[in-house]
Amino acid sequence: MTIADLASVPFERAGDLASLCARVGELADSEQPFVLLAGGTDWMVEQELRKPFAAGAEPRVIDVSRLDKLREIRLEGNVLSIGAGVTYWEMRNSPEVRAHAPLLERMARDVGAIQIQARGTLGGNLATGSPAADGVAAVAAYDAILVVQSRRGVRRIPMSELQTGYKASTREGDEIFVAVEILLPGPDARWYWRKVGTRRAQAISKVALGGVARVEAGQVVRCGLGMASVAPVTALLPRTRELFLSTKLEKIGPVQLDKAVDSDISPIDDVRSTGEYRLHVAKSVVRDFARALGARV
Amino acid sequence: MLIRLKLNGQLREVDTAPMRRLLDVLREELELTGTKEGCGEGECGTCTVLLDGEVVNACMVVIGQCDGRDVVTVEGLGSEAHLLPIQKTFVTEGGAQCGICTPGMLISAEALLRRNASPTDEQIREALAGNLCRCTGYERIVASVRAAALARSSGGAS
Ligand SMILES: Cc1cc2nc3c(=O)[nH]c(=O)nc-3n(C[C@H](O)[C@H](O)[C@H](O)COP(=O)(O)OP(=O)(O)OC[C@H]3O[C@@H](n4cnc5c(N)ncnc54)[C@H](O)[C@@H]3O)c2cc1C
Ligand code: FES
Ligand code: FES
Repeated sequence: MTIADLASVPFERAGDLASLCARVGELADSEQPFVLLAGGTDWMVEQELRKPFAAGAEPRVIDVSRLDKLREIRLEGNVLSIGAGVTYWEMRNSPEVRAHAPLLERMARDVGAIQIQARGTLGGNLATGSPAADGVAAVAAYDAILVVQSRRGVRRIPMSELQTGYKASTREGDEIFVAVEILLPGPDARWYWRKVGTRRAQAISKVALGGVARVEAGQVVRCGLGMASVAPVTALLPRTRELFLSTKLEKIGPVQLDKAVDSDISPIDDVRSTGEYRLHVAKSVVRDFARALGARV
Repeated sequence: MLIRLKLNGQLREVDTAPMRRLLDVLREELELTGTKEGCGEGECGTCTVLLDGEVVNACMVVIGQCDGRDVVTVEGLGSEAHLLPIQKTFVTEGGAQCGICTPGMLISAEALLRRNASPTDEQIREALAGNLCRCTGYERIVASVRAAALARSSGGAS
């Protein structure tokens, strides 16, 4: 397909969330393909690379980029809710995000370049579901809940139950990402972000790690991890997390920590890196995170 | 679809297919060819424009998303008779060679200077990280932005 073919793709604008849910439900019932166009930074690139659509098989594009309901950032009690249509640039500049979920601000700085940050959204990152997605790794570290909505109502999916395989998820075809909810870990929580790529801007990671932890008297009492580009899905490193939660930091040794990472992931070779290098970097960044918490590894 | 937008300060209407890229509509129907196409994939930044004041790649935005919005292209920065400091310093500091990256560089740099009057070199480099240049090696471009910041702060802004 060339970009010129885009002109024949039908376009409509979402009015409000309820009518969008109804419209999406109707399209899903009639098995018509559709796209929710937010920043377009994933979808537009895919169109350059794909084969032309068969006549009449073009997806219907629904512009969601101005749906106010998806663009809210709200703090209610100790839950921060970030709309699925919030861009990386908005996250970087939001006082609420900066104060309460600084890992998201830090992650957003590393996405593409400012032009991509100004358009790309958390909802698009989650929906594309690439294992390299930085936003997904960062929200995973906060053990976020994904709020989805369809004409059947609102559903909350814990991050640990979202991804089922490469670009596959438990979200139904007619469910729209509305927001990401984060139960705040508290102001004294530690957070960590490290993205390793070929260059600082415009690079997909070889490995990226987001981590959030609360430490009380040398013991990790809350821990969330999200690692990008080391598995078919965002890796939540359950054994590594279990080690942090079950062992005093002073008792965690480097060998034990490396072993936990080894048992959590088996990264593969691809155009960006080798499995061996990825595993090496994955262990290094997990150790770095552990050191930041006070472990001697 | 009839699209109404504010383009370089003027209200414009264009009747076109809503899924066409902002980049193509700017260059074709609206005859503003300052905005260039390098990669068509969001990587090079030579198609950078301001959309409601934010820097975006015009190759990733469809015109249907621009209805009622404010777009500024390189043509909207300054006229030949009244160049902005950033345009003058790209000339005096050697920030442009072949010129293909220049429209996007100017937009990204001007947007930076509007939000941060005295950026550090690191902030300049971050602001321009989405704009690739195959000629200058970037040093002269960073120097141009630095010089424009100085000119603006010493009242050189037009
Ligand atoms: C040059 C470049 C650099 C990039 N760098 C990075 C990077 O460093 N890190 C990174 O993680 N990504 C990167 N990306 C990928 C992309 O920018 C992100 O994944 C971004 O978050 C996608 O959001 P979007 O709003 O642009 O999605 P869109 O392209 O608008 O949509 C993508 C998909 O999501 C669906 N969708 C959108 N919103 C919703 C919703 N609310 N509910 C359900 N489905 C929805 C759409 O139907 C579509 O299938 C880069 C892309 C480019 C072009
Ligand atoms: S042409 Fe738009 S970023 Fe390269
Ligand atoms: S001056 Fe030639 S690409 Fe920058």
